[in-house]
Amino acid sequence: MSKQPARRNLTLTIDGRQVTVPEGTLVVEAARQAGFNIPVYCYHPKMDPAGLCRICLVEIEKIPKLQIACNTQVADGMVVHTMSPRVAEGRRGVLEFLLLNHPLDCPICDKGGECDLQDFTMSYGPGASRLTEPKLHKPKAVDLGPTIVLDEERCILCRRCTRFDDEIAQERNLVVNERGHHSLIATADGSDYRSYFSGNTTEICPVGALTSKAYRFRSRPWDLSHADSVCTQCSVGCNYRIDSRFGRIMRTFTRENTAVDDGWICDRGRYTFNYLYEPSRLRQPLIKRDGEHQPATFDEAIAIAAERLRTAARKGSVGIIGGGRLSDEEAFALQQFAREVLGTDNIDHRVGLQKYASPSRHEARLEDIDDASLIVIFGAITPEQAPILDLRLRRAVARRHAKLLFVGPYKPDLPVPCRHVEYTPGAIAELMEQLADVVHHGREERGEGFVAEIAQELADAERIIAVHNGRDPGAIEALEKLMDRLHDYDHPVGILVVGATGNARGAEAAGCVPNLGPGYAELGRSGMTAAEMFAAAADGKLDALYIAGANPALTFPDGELVRRALQRVPFLAVADQVLTETAAYADVVLAAASFAEKSGHVTNLEGRQQAFAQAIEPPVHVGSDLRILAAFAQTLGKEWAIPDDADALFAQLRHVQRAARPRSPKDPLPRPRVDETSLSSADQVDATHQRFTIIPVPRLYAGGGASAHDPGIAAMRPAPFATFHPDDAARIGVVHGDMVRLQGRGGSIDVEVHVGPQAPTGVALVLADMPQAPVNRLLDASGFGSATAIKVRSVAAAPPETIEVTA
Amino acid sequence: MARFEPVLLRGIGQLDLTDIENYKQLGGFAALEKALREMTPEAVQGEVSASNLRGRGGAGFPTGKKWSFLPKDGRPRYLVCNCDEAEPGTFKDHLLLEQAPFQIIEGLLISAYAINAAQIFMYIRGEFLEGFRIFKRALDAARLQGYLGKRILGTDFSMDIVVHRGAGAYICGEETAMLESIEGKRGEPRLKPPFPANAGLYGMPTVVNNVETVSCVPHIIERGAQWFASIGPEKCPGPKIISVSGHVVRPGNYEVPMGIPARELIEEYAGGLFPGRRLKAIQPGGGSSAAIFEEDLDTGIDFDSLAAKRTMLGSGGFVVMDDTTCMVRASQTLTRFFEHESCGQCTPCREGGQWVARMVSRLEAGEGNESDLRVLSTINDTITGTNLCPLGDSIMPFLSSVLRRFPEEFADHVREAGCPFRVGVAASMAS
Ligand SMILES: Cc1cc2nc3c(=O)[nH]c(=O)nc-3n(C[C@H](O)[C@H](O)[C@H](O)COP(=O)(O)O)c2cc1C
Ligand code: SF4
Ligand code: SF4
Ligand code: SF4
Ligand code: FES
Repeated sequence: MSKQPARRNLTLTIDGRQVTVPEGTLVVEAARQAGFNIPVYCYHPKMDPAGLCRICLVEIEKIPKLQIACNTQVADGMVVHTMSPRVAEGRRGVLEFLLLNHPLDCPICDKGGECDLQDFTMSYGPGASRLTEPKLHKPKAVDLGPTIVLDEERCILCRRCTRFDDEIAQERNLVVNERGHHSLIATADGSDYRSYFSGNTTEICPVGALTSKAYRFRSRPWDLSHADSVCTQCSVGCNYRIDSRFGRIMRTFTRENTAVDDGWICDRGRYTFNYLYEPSRLRQPLIKRDGEHQPATFDEAIAIAAERLRTAARKGSVGIIGGGRLSDEEAFALQQFAREVLGTDNIDHRVGLQKYASPSRHEARLEDIDDASLIVIFGAITPEQAPILDLRLRRAVARRHAKLLFVGPYKPDLPVPCRHVEYTPGAIAELMEQLADVVHHGREERGEGFVAEIAQELADAERIIAVHNGRDPGAIEALEKLMDRLHDYDHPVGILVVGATGNARGAEAAGCVPNLGPGYAELGRSGMTAAEMFAAAADGKLDALYIAGANPALTFPDGELVRRALQRVPFLAVADQVLTETAAYADVVLAAASFAEKSGHVTNLEGRQQAFAQAIEPPVHVGSDLRILAAFAQTLGKEWAIPDDADALFAQLRHVQRAARPRSPKDPLPRPRVDETSLSSADQVDATHQRFTIIPVPRLYAGGGASAHDPGIAAMRPAPFATFHPDDAARIGVVHGDMVRLQGRGGSIDVEVHVGPQAPTGVALVLADMPQAPVNRLLDASGFGSATAIKVRSVAAAPPETIEVTA
Repeated sequence: MARFEPVLLRGIGQLDLTDIENYKQLGGFAALEKALREMTPEAVQGEVSASNLRGRGGAGFPTGKKWSFLPKDGRPRYLVCNCDEAEPGTFKDHLLLEQAPFQIIEGLLISAYAINAAQIFMYIRGEFLEGFRIFKRALDAARLQGYLGKRILGTDFSMDIVVHRGAGAYICGEETAMLESIEGKRGEPRLKPPFPANAGLYGMPTVVNNVETVSCVPHIIERGAQWFASIGPEKCPGPKIISVSGHVVRPGNYEVPMGIPARELIEEYAGGLFPGRRLKAIQPGGGSSAAIFEEDLDTGIDFDSLAAKRTMLGSGGFVVMDDTTCMVRASQTLTRFFEHESCGQCTPCREGGQWVARMVSRLEAGEGNESDLRVLSTINDTITGTNLCPLGDSIMPFLSSVLRRFPEEFADHVREAGCPFRVGVAASMAS
């Protein structure tokens, strides 16, 4: 697929050992392959060589001066010495310089024990300092922003942090200020360092200059136990390591998987773990007695819930919701619970706007983004919903000159060039169909105009990746047909679907949908979708609901319907880690384990099934969802359906999933059923301007899961706000910072006013999944909603001084 | 001895060469006419190569060869003129800018024609405000008369010059730092490779040439490579402006044939030393160069002869120090300059430079110790040759050369806990 010409192999000698590597390899990498570690500070394999620190000096025969290994490419017959006396002298010199004014506060430094300055000084450094004057001082404990603290004295100015921010994140927050030995790392404009990727800088900083607030002074590296895990905060599934000390999580750390995360994790993934130690964490089951939740034992809670569920199941009046926040094994167990234990097909993991969590064909891998020449995003807000995928997009656009086209109601905040095609919900399918038509008719007949222009871009692209959010079935079908067309014309195409939850795809593939069994097996029958279950419950037609790891009260589009359903259903049991808005309604609450407290597999958005290991023990009365479901099965006499053994379940699941990869255009994967109420229609759009169309917008630090209870994440979550177009703001007489009350079909929410041109006129872009201001009070089951906006508070008590402007 | 007939400085002091008519009266723009009408770009390049012109910015790289490195891949090419002149002791480009702007413009146009450039950028040191104004006026005048802009002199050749002012950093004279600066970034040298010929300004193939270098070009075209190559040594010929400063009777810019002995420059041109003084040290190539001494006075002032003396011609800043000069004090001035001007990217330059400057300052203040002397005499090995750009390699040459030559002077500063010269000055003032 990649079009680079084959590279010649070259042979060189490093410290007497012959090494053969491809042309263009850097000496530092060649040495690594030969088993010699050349010390580096500024060099980082994911970034361009910078050649700043000069610690990597090596001797190359026939070249008089020492050369830096990090920017010297190998040559045939090159003879390199990495340990000669001259090299040792060069290294010793660089280390002496770096240590001159270094504060040597290793005993209180977080990096102590895993610090490259400590380590290289031990290996190559001078024994003692020859500095006879006092050390120079620089600022210490500089608060860089919500996540990072900087010690300028420890900083060795390798600039990995600024280069990460520039080259990888493409954000240009971090800069070097001043010059020479006065140089300081700082933010470009002195404001806070706010980036979804900030935590990575603490890892790549070779010394203890950048420390994370979450981990500062918490532990020493040698006291940490490590568990190889996978982040489940979103559907990218970045690989990470959970570091714990005496059974308590201290930090998370990247665990590079080039194909998935390329060695990075985002701050949501990195910092969401302290909620486990908050009072709001459920440490034992609760049973509602006289309207109050009372603590109960595990067995008690299981016994009561099992009995009520069985009774309802006998009448065929039970529903199961969840799966997208469980492991693959647990999602499978949940569908076993529904179909085999309770005998119902009423099971659905879809508690948001997403209908499909996978492409039915043309499946892409995350790595395919790297080679794409055109990336088209439909609706998915990748920086907020899949941050590490977004890094890949940024790289493809900024460094590999891929084109980026965003089709959606508003333009997300992206640091790379992106063409925005504004569409209103409903119109997108039509656009796709037109495109397919124009692509089909060939270059000559494409004609003029906007559709022709995009069609031309599609036709010109060598490799196309489409990313969508799985929400609009009509549009997805049209998109897939368009991709079929392009595919017919020999364009490599691929589709990625950003999951609504971390394991949405795993849940779909495990059969947590009403019409498909595990492995997308078509059942030829269907139970109720989540929306139908809520409607039935709200109408008094459902006797019991079991919800596992889902919070529809906050995330389901029609919040009012869910509220009525949860109130009215005669029996509700919820398993979760915290007392969510949904669990608050439950008759029985089961305390569920977090991912760190169990092991298993999860499936990321590209369909990659990844294993994660257990890092810590759950609290005594807390059980994994698997353990909970197995206990139900046992109590109900069907222990064969759900063995309390993740390995055994995984083997079963693997067996049924074998044939379940998305297939060819002729043989696409079957689709989960979508009910009528969940389909939006274009003509709903209210153009009267008396009311605003409500478009919920995702935000990385919002969300209805356990992260809502994490103090670190909470500190970064914005207050609820809605963005209005400047014209609309002027029309209704509000300015940035005012509070408005949005009054819609199911109630009202108060939000801060933001004003920005990214909002189309007549639209309010409202933060989704905010517990203090749930946007789902304003929406129907299809996600459509409109609301009036009334100012409830002015940003300033007194009107701002007016400034006379004369022309 | 007959004085050298000036080439680059011809007419300066007699005529106002910032007036385009006066410049033309002296034969100005004839070379441009000749190049555009009678020569192909290849022929112009060939002539410059044959002249053996070597860059006057400091490194002395053969200009024709530099031009020939540009890849022929259809990308736009840029010519950048380096007028950032900030090397201590160098002030020749300043003079050319203010007194002979049209010679620069003509040289740039011919060079741009030769390398098929898309655009010329003129980078002028921020402090040269007057020179900047003069140059801008000169551009306007040249444009009015059809020497600049579309279809120059009615030929197919179109060219323009964009002027960019620096903001006061010595390092922006280094060619890749200059490119960063023009691009609006922090002025810091780039890591090489890639070299500017391949990926220069805005990533495009780029040539950076010094003001004096391009000023030579019209004369080479007009009078031929043979004539140019016959002036001075074969491998580094041509006229050369030397900025003479320090303890001489008549400091100033002198245009001499390359290879002229240092003694002749001092005595015949600069009026010799002050009466009763003895020569102590000379920096022949600006603040970055190692010193030469009395016994080196017969050395030729050219790239190769000075390199043979383990110093350099550099930018041609010729600083003369007589026996009243304290070598520690002189070293202090220079090391503090480099400490201040280091961009801070490389560890040895940033940290080592700062440390050296502190040690030398302490010695001069009478607070130095034996350990400083030991460190100073060995630190050259870890500072020099280990950096990303030549600034880091400029910190030590002068200091090392005078420390080797006058070790007792440094030791005296420790032993007497102060500067013996200052004591002398104080005593003479008291008397
Ligand atoms: C620290 C430093 C400062 C420099 N300053 C100047 C300068 O002010 N003017 C200049 O022409 N070249 C300067 N140079 C040299 C340039 O990098 C470059 O070699 C020169 O402009 C090339 O032109 P030439 O080939 O015509 O000499 C400097 C180099 C360094 C390392
Ligand atoms: S803060 Fe760390 S990563 Fe950034 S320049 Fe300093 S040492 Fe390097
Ligand atoms: S991108 Fe998603 S999976 Fe990766 S670290 Fe962030 S939240 Fe976790
Ligand atoms: S040698 Fe000095 S001036 Fe040159 S790049 Fe390195 S730190 Fe900057
Ligand atoms: S690692 Fe090579 S210069 Fe820093």
